[in-house]
Amino acid sequence: MNENLFASFIAPTILGLPAAVLIILFPPLLIPTSKYLINNRLITTQQWLIKLTSKQMMTMHNTKGRTWSLMLVSLIIFIATTNLLGLLPHSFTPTTQLSMNLAMAIPLWAGAVIMGFRSKIKNALAHFLPQGTPTPLIPMLVIIETISLLIQPMALAVRLTANITAGHLLMHLIGNTTLAMSTINLPSTLIIFTILILLTILEIAVALIQAYVFTLLVSLYLHDNT
Amino acid sequence: MLSRVVLSAAATAAPSLKNAAFLGPGVLQATRTFHTGQPHLVPVPPLPEYGGKVRYGLIPEEFFQFLYPKTGPYVLGTGLILYALSKEIYVISAETFTALSVLGVMVYGIKKYGPFVADFADKLNEQKLAQLEEAKQASIQHIQNAIDTEKSQQALVQKRHYLFDVQRNNIAMALEVTYRERLYRVYKEVKNRLDYHISVQNMMRRKEQEHMINWVEKHVVQSISTQQEKETIAKCIADLKLLAKKAQAQPVM
Repeated sequence: MNENLFASFIAPTILGLPAAVLIILFPPLLIPTSKYLINNRLITTQQWLIKLTSKQMMTMHNTKGRTWSLMLVSLIIFIATTNLLGLLPHSFTPTTQLSMNLAMAIPLWAGAVIMGFRSKIKNALAHFLPQGTPTPLIPMLVIIETISLLIQPMALAVRLTANITAGHLLMHLIGNTTLAMSTINLPSTLIIFTILILLTILEIAVALIQAYVFTLLVSLYLHDNT
Repeated sequence: MLSRVVLSAAATAAPSLKNAAFLGPGVLQATRTFHTGQPHLVPVPPLPEYGGKVRYGLIPEEFFQFLYPKTGPYVLGTGLILYALSKEIYVISAETFTALSVLGVMVYGIKKYGPFVADFADKLNEQKLAQLEEAKQASIQHIQNAIDTEKSQQALVQKRHYLFDVQRNNIAMALEVTYRERLYRVYKEVKNRLDYHISVQNMMRRKEQEHMINWVEKHVVQSISTQQEKETIAKCIADLKLLAKKAQAQPVM
């Protein structure tokens, strides 16, 4: 029995050395590269998925924005695989740590914004005032827009952390409930087990969707600023 | 540097070789062997097309075959699991149910959509192969067309002499036509000249005739004297009167 509910979120260590590095470096092992044209099914499906993702995401950018395509595609693949691997029992999900998500969000957001301010400063400043606002509201709106801009990296990181952490916690809690109810009342155990199955399906969807949302927002910031 | 060590060691070991120092570089090339083996990069053994057979997606088939002479692998597996459970090496906790649900959903998904994804991947690979095959076939077709065109051109070259014969005939006819034309022109010119001479002769004869007639008339008119002229006129008048009486007499009757 785990000591408390949050034991699975502790960064794992092996004899005092951080194993989180190994865990973060594990997903690329699941995506083989190949120098052949005709591959096995795993590589074919993965390549097809990556082609689909990159086409979907990068068509809306101009040439300057498309220089970010490697970054964004690898980002979405990393977050998706890490989230999905975290659903396995007794595994550790790096994206539950706010530190890692901040480390992903802040540089990407800052890069996009600073790029925008360097190249097209007028366009970048124009984002602070939406079109068609009544004149008396302008000072307040500029302040609000500035705050909304500065809060974007925090929102990115906290969104991902909160979603994944909440999902994992819910799975733990309902698992505990099933365990406790299994000795008391069997039919309700089955109902709760069904809920657990549904939750698992939701978690899988959430894992993928969060990856998508993160990357999509970063690409949106990029689009604004190129 | 190592070669110098080798040389000095060889010199101390065999003093007769001391004079061989000037052969140093040659000795070096002979003693060290470079590039004797095959270059390894190209003939990489091809990867097997399908992976090894696996039972339950985790345990390779060789494990079962390895165990069968000694013990049944299922009995071994069940025993291990029960041992782990009973001695609480594996604790049933909340994670157990989470694991059950996750693995259950995964197995269900793989069983249901696995063949579909496999077929899809196979179809993608087949499409790539078909594209290459099509390129190859198009190239072969192109070359075949070129060969056929070349053959037909060669056949046409064989029949070129017909063309030359026709051209030769044409030229011969044209020559003939020009010759006849010129012949006719010559004929016309000559006839023209001859006609001119004839018409000149005719004109001369006519002129001579007219001249003679005029001369004869003039002399006849000159030879008629006035006395003869009066007698002739009176006789004509008497004849005319007689004729008139005869003419008048007839209608009365």
